[in-house]
Amino acid sequence: MALHPFLWLILIPVLASPVVYLAGRLAGAAMARWLAFLTLAVTGAPFALAAQDLAANGAATFTLGLVKLKFDGLSLLLAALALGLGACVTLFSNAYMRGEAGEEKYYAALLAMIGVIVGLGCANDLFNLWIWFEAMAVASYMLVAFYRDQPASLEAGVKYLVQSAVGSVLVMLGIAAVFGATGQLSLQSIAVAAQASATQASAVGLLAAGALMTVGFGVKAALVPLHTWLPDAHSQAPSGISAMLSGVVIEAGLIALLRAVAPLLGEGDAGARFGQLLLLFAALNMILGNLLALKQTQVKRMLAFSSLSHVGYMLLGFGVAAYTGQAAAAQGGVFHMLSHGLMKGLAFLAAGALLYTLYVANGAHGPLTVSDLNGAARRYPLAALALGIAVLGLAGLPPLVGFMSKWQIFVGGFQAGDTLAALLVIFAALNSVLSLTYYAPLVNAMYRRQTSDAVRRGRAMPLTMVIPLVVMSILVVALGMWPALVEGLTGPASLALVAGK
Amino acid sequence: MAATFITLTIGLPWLGALVVWVAGDQRPRAQHALAVVFAVAGGLSGLALLTTTSSAVAIRLPVGGAFGDFTFVADGLGVFLAVVATVIGSLAVIFSVEYMKGEAQLGRYYAFVLLFIGAMAGLALTGSLLLLFFFWEVTALTSYALISFHNDDPKAVAGGIKALIITQLGGVGLLAGALLIYAHLGSYEISAFLAGADALPADLRAIIAFGFLIAAAAKSAQAPFHTWLPDAMEAPTPVSALIHAATMVNAGVYLLARFFPAFEAVPGWTTAVALVGVVTALLAACMAIVANDLKRVLAYSTVSQLGYMVFAIGCGSALASQFHLFSHAVFKALLFLGAGAVIHAIGTRDMQQMGGLGKHMPLVRVVFVIGAGALAGIPPLNGFWSKELVLEEGLAHGPLWGYIGMLIGAGLTAFYTARMVWLVFYGEPRGHYHTHDARPAMAVPLVLLAAGTLTTWLLFGPFSALLAGAVPGLHEESTLAFVSKVVTDPATLLALAVVALGLLAWQQRSRLSGIAAGLRALGQAAAQGFGFEAVNRFVARITQSAATALQRTQTGELNWNAAGIAGALIIVLIILAGGGIR
Amino acid sequence: MSLSPIAIALLGVAILLGIGFYGLLVARNLIKLIVVLQILAKAAMLAFLAAGSAQEQMGLAQSMVVTVIVADTVVAVIALALAVQVKRRYGTLDVRKLTNLRG
Repeated sequence: MALHPFLWLILIPVLASPVVYLAGRLAGAAMARWLAFLTLAVTGAPFALAAQDLAANGAATFTLGLVKLKFDGLSLLLAALALGLGACVTLFSNAYMRGEAGEEKYYAALLAMIGVIVGLGCANDLFNLWIWFEAMAVASYMLVAFYRDQPASLEAGVKYLVQSAVGSVLVMLGIAAVFGATGQLSLQSIAVAAQASATQASAVGLLAAGALMTVGFGVKAALVPLHTWLPDAHSQAPSGISAMLSGVVIEAGLIALLRAVAPLLGEGDAGARFGQLLLLFAALNMILGNLLALKQTQVKRMLAFSSLSHVGYMLLGFGVAAYTGQAAAAQGGVFHMLSHGLMKGLAFLAAGALLYTLYVANGAHGPLTVSDLNGAARRYPLAALALGIAVLGLAGLPPLVGFMSKWQIFVGGFQAGDTLAALLVIFAALNSVLSLTYYAPLVNAMYRRQTSDAVRRGRAMPLTMVIPLVVMSILVVALGMWPALVEGLTGPASLALVAGK
Repeated sequence: MAATFITLTIGLPWLGALVVWVAGDQRPRAQHALAVVFAVAGGLSGLALLTTTSSAVAIRLPVGGAFGDFTFVADGLGVFLAVVATVIGSLAVIFSVEYMKGEAQLGRYYAFVLLFIGAMAGLALTGSLLLLFFFWEVTALTSYALISFHNDDPKAVAGGIKALIITQLGGVGLLAGALLIYAHLGSYEISAFLAGADALPADLRAIIAFGFLIAAAAKSAQAPFHTWLPDAMEAPTPVSALIHAATMVNAGVYLLARFFPAFEAVPGWTTAVALVGVVTALLAACMAIVANDLKRVLAYSTVSQLGYMVFAIGCGSALASQFHLFSHAVFKALLFLGAGAVIHAIGTRDMQQMGGLGKHMPLVRVVFVIGAGALAGIPPLNGFWSKELVLEEGLAHGPLWGYIGMLIGAGLTAFYTARMVWLVFYGEPRGHYHTHDARPAMAVPLVLLAAGTLTTWLLFGPFSALLAGAVPGLHEESTLAFVSKVVTDPATLLALAVVALGLLAWQQRSRLSGIAAGLRALGQAAAQGFGFEAVNRFVARITQSAATALQRTQTGELNWNAAGIAGALIIVLIILAGGGIR
Repeated sequence: MSLSPIAIALLGVAILLGIGFYGLLVARNLIKLIVVLQILAKAAMLAFLAAGSAQEQMGLAQSMVVTVIVADTVVAVIALALAVQVKRRYGTLDVRKLTNLRG
């Protein structure tokens, strides 16, 4: 039985998850740690094969009963992000989570989450989409509230769960509406039916479905005002999970939203109205994310709010594409998903590395504050450099990848030739400048000569934490100087997305 | 050949940045040595470029998609700026060896200085609008890092962030213009835009023109964006020499010079450019008159002289503007490095605590007076010749109010220059200090720059030849022809008279105390930055208030959060339904 | 007044949603909130069945609803486990007391 390589991308992490758990319980946590990393490293081979196959033969499909999967460019991109960042996080967590109660559950849940995210990217019908989405949510609930004896962590987990569950219900209602209106669940068939739809009732149904699914998936994608769970969850989770949440889970939510709603749009100006809606969310996300990040004194909370604003940039790209019918901005949005995942992941891992050496290794559980970062570069030069690179890249400064991905979105916005799009691009550029007002002081603090008390008490930084930081930093700089390196990922992904419209 | 030199001019400093950083702060001697080697190598490579200038694309790297081709061109205008950046950069690095001796975090310092030098060269040598913006932003990043180098000093950090924010805000103008150009022409090639600018609709061209003007004004610290430059004086002095004399601020002028052929037809643009130049020149000169911090005086004077360069472009003469840029780069670097020697020896920047230093620091005094003379416009120093050219172009092609304003500016310049020189080097010592003259590592660049100040005007002929190939409408002229033109022009006498008046006013200041008292209000306004600082503070304040107000939306109350989802749903339904049901 | 089965189902959905959203706004006890989530989920399932009935695809709809029930049960279990922990650490199940994280 020869399974197509892309299926292994889902199966390997998902099947390894219980194995890792058992190995951890029976053979000790070290087994769990390394097995988890090994699992993800091993997925490199089927990934390369799947990518080659995609380039040569186009999208691949797989059907088994109710399970309908299709592997296209967007799936490849999400898989790259999930597996790549996941591998870095499992290596990072090796030292970070060492000795925590329930460590093997952490790795098991993490692997499961990664596997189902890849599955989400491949979902070819609405119900599949919901199932993988729900599985991702369940895995993430366990990971966010991992520190079960920390009240703040519990609080974040509870709020996240309740809001996310409401979102899931709305999605389900939306799917029901689509089903009722068209009788179809497969994305392609819905698109056909939506264009052919004649009756008033079915049009209303599709409209309601679009709204329900936008809001439902929007909770997970952190659209403002559905975002209130995010700062708590992303800052209270273990740092590796914060990286995954900001770097992959939000993006997965956004991808789910686009995949689900795109077929409903049909001909006519529904696409334009949806685009306008996305643009509205984009503006809200950008300004709220940036203004609130400004007021944060805790590093991880600041980074969480910054994620809100970056979702705004992605929405800008996709919104322009939907609103004007031109695809160029969508490629920018996709590139920004990738670059934000990389940079925000790096930022959270670097902050996490510092949190580890300053607090966790000393047995404390305090939050990492900006003033704790004072003089961090003296003792932890690589981590400080990594955090600096990540944060300045997020602000869009060259020669880092954030500049290139934002540029591609901005170009798309102007190429559309629409004044509203152009004005929003200017708004986005101004927001980037605004974000410098909270990013720059972080960098300045780290390179002080006077160290904070926390830095003075800090422990040594393990190699397993430094390696992912170095690798990701190099990627951020390399892609920033030569963005063509990811053309192979972003091009097919945006084509796949646009094909759905 | 050009391709190799371009790669070396940009690549050597950038490679050097990496190498110096990797060498590690435990080996400062190696870091100093490596920095000097790479900076000088970059400078030599830049000079080599002078031999191979051409308007053809020398390097083309296709990236594809929304990024176009990464192109590099070595034409006269670009090479000139690249040479200024790399040569003066090298001198500043050599100066740093002594100035930064014993400082910590040298790796970071040299890495950013070298990164900066390479980025300026890249900015000048690129033919792609995307890369222009790319390098533009890199210079902003590096200058921020260097201004706030002493991270433990809150003034330095604040100065760095202020510079970053203001220049970045201006950069949005460049971004918008570049995107509009790409959207309409489908290419990032600067040469394509310059050739095809008339094809663009007039209102778009106007937006691009004024967007670029805003970016240039912010980068070159022109009014109303000038407030960042004086605060940037917190940087180590070699950095001030680099940024404020030689390079980063010139990027704005370069931008205007480069794109002038495309924008001169835009109604009101040249007038706006000239206006910005005049207002800035006068405003900054006034602020220099009342400043007591030596570096601040030099900073304001830089802003003021940049005003001259901008004004020259507004009058249609890229040659005058760039020639003044040339002179200014040399004599301002000289003044900053000289000031650095003084500050390094004394330990303070406050001129009120100096005085009589000429006895203890003869070499520094001599070179400083040379530099100051050039700034004031005293013949036969290079500043005199280039300022005369600007004034003459202003009289011939610019608005009359502009010429008169710039003439007054020349007088004010002479006044504050005399004040500065006198307060530092002459009179009775007002503070207690042990001083020494400049050590060799500092002295060598000083002497070289002083020699340059005395002689660079002789290069007018080759200089105009260099630019003639790059700037349409610019004609080559021999040095002799130029000199005889200036010497015989009656306007020159007028300018000299005004300069003499300025110098005299300082000398007779005790007799003019009545006027000084009357101008006290103006002086206080000048000390407050004429209200522009207040604008900066206002903007910062409303941003903070907006953020504080928004914080109340993050209530932490689960009931509201969850119900908010339902509310959002209703709003989304309304919006989607808004255009009527399909 | 005779309504078609589908209309009755849709009415039921509306009522359940109404109860659910009202509950989200006013329920203080964490357990009550979890119950409210369950009510909302049932509303969605009912909607699903109504849709299936309208489209004459009851078989598909039923199998999907069963899957959803399973998924939802998992979520409920996790939620209740968290609630137990909350009671242990905070000493209360009142969500209005869970406001340490704000701003």
